[in-house]
Amino acid sequence: MVVKISLRSIWFAQAWSNQRTDSIAQNKKAQMKIQQMVFMLLAATLFFALVGMLLLALKFSGLKESATELEEKNALLLVTKIANSPEFSCGSAFGNLKTNCVDADKVMMLKKNIDKYDNFWGKETNIEIIKIYPEGNVVCTIGNYPNCNLINLQSKKINIEHSNFISLCRKNLINGEVHDKCELAKIIVSYKDWRENDD
Amino acid sequence: MMIKTTKNKSGQKQKSKISPFAKNKSGQEELIGFVLIIVLVAIIGLIFLGFSLRSPQKEIVESYEVESFIQAFLQYTTDCGNYRENYLPLQKLISACVDKETCLDERESCDVLNFTLTGMIENSWKVEGDRPIQGYELKIVLENGTEVIPLINNGNSTKNSKGVSQPFTPLGENYEVTFIVYY
Repeated sequence: MVVKISLRSIWFAQAWSNQRTDSIAQNKKAQMKIQQMVFMLLAATLFFALVGMLLLALKFSGLKESATELEEKNALLLVTKIANSPEFSCGSAFGNLKTNCVDADKVMMLKKNIDKYDNFWGKETNIEIIKIYPEGNVVCTIGNYPNCNLINLQSKKINIEHSNFISLCRKNLINGEVHDKCELAKIIVSYKDWRENDD
Repeated sequence: MMIKTTKNKSGQKQKSKISPFAKNKSGQEELIGFVLIIVLVAIIGLIFLGFSLRSPQKEIVESYEVESFIQAFLQYTTDCGNYRENYLPLQKLISACVDKETCLDERESCDVLNFTLTGMIENSWKVEGDRPIQGYELKIVLENGTEVIPLINNGNSTKNSKGVSQPFTPLGENYEVTFIVYY
């Protein structure tokens, strides 16, 4: 009886010991797998966070550039079309309908009433007309017109520009007779560079 | 030492020994291949990124500028007049030059045309110094190829150019104005 009990106890002890060893090994393996999963999750999270941050940085760094590009496109479209718009064009005041012909008298009147055209050609846009031939640097006012060379419509200082050649025409009084006088000029549409100005 | 268990034809298990060195070598080769693929993909990605981030460059001379220039200078009012008009527009002055007419003040219409055109082009397309415009040329030719005025040119003829040719059909002889800007 004693022998039987002792054999059984030995067998149980051995079984328990084996089971314990197995369970420890299994626990270790599971811990390892959990660790692996945690590391993997961390790495994946870090990776996506970094990629997200990179994309955000790229998107926001391009915002100012996009704004400037839009302004540039607007200026380019404006400079090619503005001479033929009703506010500037000669119409049939100088004979036949002419393309790229700007009525200087009309522009001077427009300059006088420019407050009514606030943001009409864009918020950060300025329009200038400068005579190329004959050349000069006299800024036009109602007082010195037409003996001047530069008509600045909005008097804003904006450095980036697109320009186009136009024919600047006006009615000229010589010896009591009215003649049409057309000169070579450039219309300059300038726009704001959002990359440079942070305000 | 690694021991690989395989089955022979009779179904009995057979243990074969594989050198760990050979297994390591094969692993290294796979790793090198993987790294190479990663590097290749990264380089291709960078090239695409570079291309996509490249902003389009602004042209030195736009086509519309040259077109507008011709249209604008043809409307210019010159100080040469005839018995019909006191001040001829440049387009009519070309016709007057073709017909060898003189102005009211006895100047040759062709001289006035040449002088006016030269002055306008010099003021509009400056080539001296570090300016991006390298040169230009303007020619006015009749239908039969005869030059109305001598070729007006300045600077060098380069590979990059923008030019416009405008034909005219007035009452007299047809002619063509060609203006090319080199940059």
